[in-house]
Amino acid sequence: MTTTLAGGRAARRQTMRRIRPRRSPAVPLLIAVWAGAAAVLWLWWHNTPAIADDNGRILNAGRITGLLAGYLMALVVLQMARVPALERRVGSDRVARWHAMSGRYTLCLIVAHVFLTMWGYALQAGRTLGDVVQQTVDSVNQLPDMGKAAVGTGLFVLIGVSSVGGIRRRLPYDAWYHVHLLTYAAVFLTFWHQITTGNDFAVEPVAKTFWYGLYGAVTALVLWYRILTPLRLNIRHRMRVEAVIEETPGIVSVLIGGRKLHRMGAEAGQFFRWRFLAPGMRFSSHPYSLSAAPRPDMLRITVKAIGDHSSRLRELAPGTRVWAEGPYGALTAQRRSRGKVLLVAGGVGITPMRALFETLPGAAGDITLLYRANTTQDLALWDELAAIAEERGARLMYAVNSPDGERPDISAENLQRKIPDVDHHDVFMCGPPGFAQSVYEALREAGVPARRIHHESFEM
Amino acid sequence: MRKSHPIRRVVLATAATVSGVVLLLSLKPASDPAAAAAAGAAPQPGAAARPSPQGGQRGGAAAGTVTGDAAQTQYGAVQVRLTVANGKITGAEAVQAPKGGVSDQKTALAVPRLNQEAVAAGNADIDAVSGATYTSTGYKKSLQSALDKIKASSPGSGGETGAGSGSSGGSGSSGDSGAARARTVTGRTAQTQYGPVQVRITVSGGRITRAEAVQAPEGGVSGQKTTLAVPRLNQEAVAAGNADIDAVSGATYTSTGYKKSLQSALDQAGG
Repeated sequence: MTTTLAGGRAARRQTMRRIRPRRSPAVPLLIAVWAGAAAVLWLWWHNTPAIADDNGRILNAGRITGLLAGYLMALVVLQMARVPALERRVGSDRVARWHAMSGRYTLCLIVAHVFLTMWGYALQAGRTLGDVVQQTVDSVNQLPDMGKAAVGTGLFVLIGVSSVGGIRRRLPYDAWYHVHLLTYAAVFLTFWHQITTGNDFAVEPVAKTFWYGLYGAVTALVLWYRILTPLRLNIRHRMRVEAVIEETPGIVSVLIGGRKLHRMGAEAGQFFRWRFLAPGMRFSSHPYSLSAAPRPDMLRITVKAIGDHSSRLRELAPGTRVWAEGPYGALTAQRRSRGKVLLVAGGVGITPMRALFETLPGAAGDITLLYRANTTQDLALWDELAAIAEERGARLMYAVNSPDGERPDISAENLQRKIPDVDHHDVFMCGPPGFAQSVYEALREAGVPARRIHHESFEM
Repeated sequence: MRKSHPIRRVVLATAATVSGVVLLLSLKPASDPAAAAAAGAAPQPGAAARPSPQGGQRGGAAAGTVTGDAAQTQYGAVQVRLTVANGKITGAEAVQAPKGGVSDQKTALAVPRLNQEAVAAGNADIDAVSGATYTSTGYKKSLQSALDKIKASSPGSGGETGAGSGSSGGSGSSGDSGAARARTVTGRTAQTQYGPVQVRITVSGGRITRAEAVQAPEGGVSGQKTTLAVPRLNQEAVAAGNADIDAVSGATYTSTGYKKSLQSALDQAGG
């Protein structure tokens, strides 16, 4: 088959060199985040000598929620700055989940902050809870930078609403994405009132300096990793579509050529965010995994035509310019802790598994790939996989529905029967969420510890 | 891949946040312990001395006595009590001083001179009386601690007077305290977006010894800003001696109004 990209021994040697099992920096990062939150609370504690009455309590609750929201907001943006340590070592999927979680929490804090502060001001001015709206209007009119903050808060609420499960599913991806980009504007607009009306920053020049430092650092990281790094990457490697190949009905491979592609440092199992500069595709970028180990002159992605974007890939003309950002993803050989590896692929989830199957170092019999698809027709890249298996002495198994449509039973017993020492394997897994969940449970039941099941999931 | 429990997570996050905030709020005392301690130290009724001349005022700032910590010396304890009026030291006396034999003599020699120097200098940077070095050193220590107490109590009480009534201004006016020939001048009212600002200054010996806001924006956020800004503006005015003072960030309008009224007061005092 012409699409076969023989990475072979050379690619394996390269991967071997890179294997030094490294611990994910997630725990130290989380400790740093909590320490920062504690420092923010300490700032409040330090600047608040006493609270006289309920009015003071309400105002101070507003201040605490506001300070925490301001702190977390910087981190929420930081999580999407595509910092390599987060994307490649913690894992893009995990960071995206953190981002979603902390984003929701921050939005709640913002709403609480606005309500509590305005309620407190209303009480202070001798009004009642019912005058909160009037008080808000007055404050926005009278206090410095509050107009901007109000617009920013409105944007935050809009962004939050557009990300609620049901609404997000109904929105086209691009619309949701562009609404989400407004976050930068919202953060900018709400930043200034923190400095000018925030007691803690008006009173403490040191705190003000730190706050500028926090937001300045996040801005610098965003500019560096979201703008400058991709610019440099694309200017250096000048990628273009070489060919589009239909693997099976509904699954296409796109071959992408460019200069010195091995210098991008991409590993098997990683993905790029791709933007094809063709009419109608220019404005959206999508994450697709490499389906073969990267070669100096060629990359390959394999995509199932499910959405708008992926169906249009079929019509890409050779020579189309490609804008890529990456490599991202932590589902690589460095996650591995054992000699034996089981790769589990569900449907088009085969793409990163195919690259790993080829490049994971291992003796004959160490590597096993289990490939689940609906029918044998849907086993994309099967010929390549068979060739790799033969060359490496690796095991290749598939599970498809029986002719009457019944699903294959991937249970703990079946796994143990097929792979007796399954509990001594590292498992890499990629597939649709339901499939991944059921395989995960079967693996756990078969005695594989959770820390050795490596999985990437972009479900929130 | 562990099962996620979104509802449980939401409930946990909410409960943790709310209880954390409530805990923090409830741990804060109802009144400032530092200010309370300073205020508590100020009256000291039991110490066998003549009553302070303007005993009626509430805090230490307008008029009252402040007693420093006792400083131990080789010959016995020294403790200084200061009488303060309108932020200035108007009297100094030693409540305790070394006694007996030669010490009596030295005390009799040194303490009156130290008292005078303290009033004249207004700080603890006074010359030791030769022949009574230990007593002088102890005196200076106790004096410094009394001055520290005054400093600690004045920003708090300045905030109170700045925010509202303006009644305390009357006590410092020219008539009664005499010696310092202090007089108060009230500036014109300056209108700002949030309300009028009016400054009253006490001038003594050609210097501003005290500044306060008779009027300042009140209510809501304005009240907060006033509490934040006015004490600092008062301090700056006294320190600078003119209207060229820095605006307090976050309270620009109040600061501008304050400077205007301060300038008008200075014009009146000069003319």
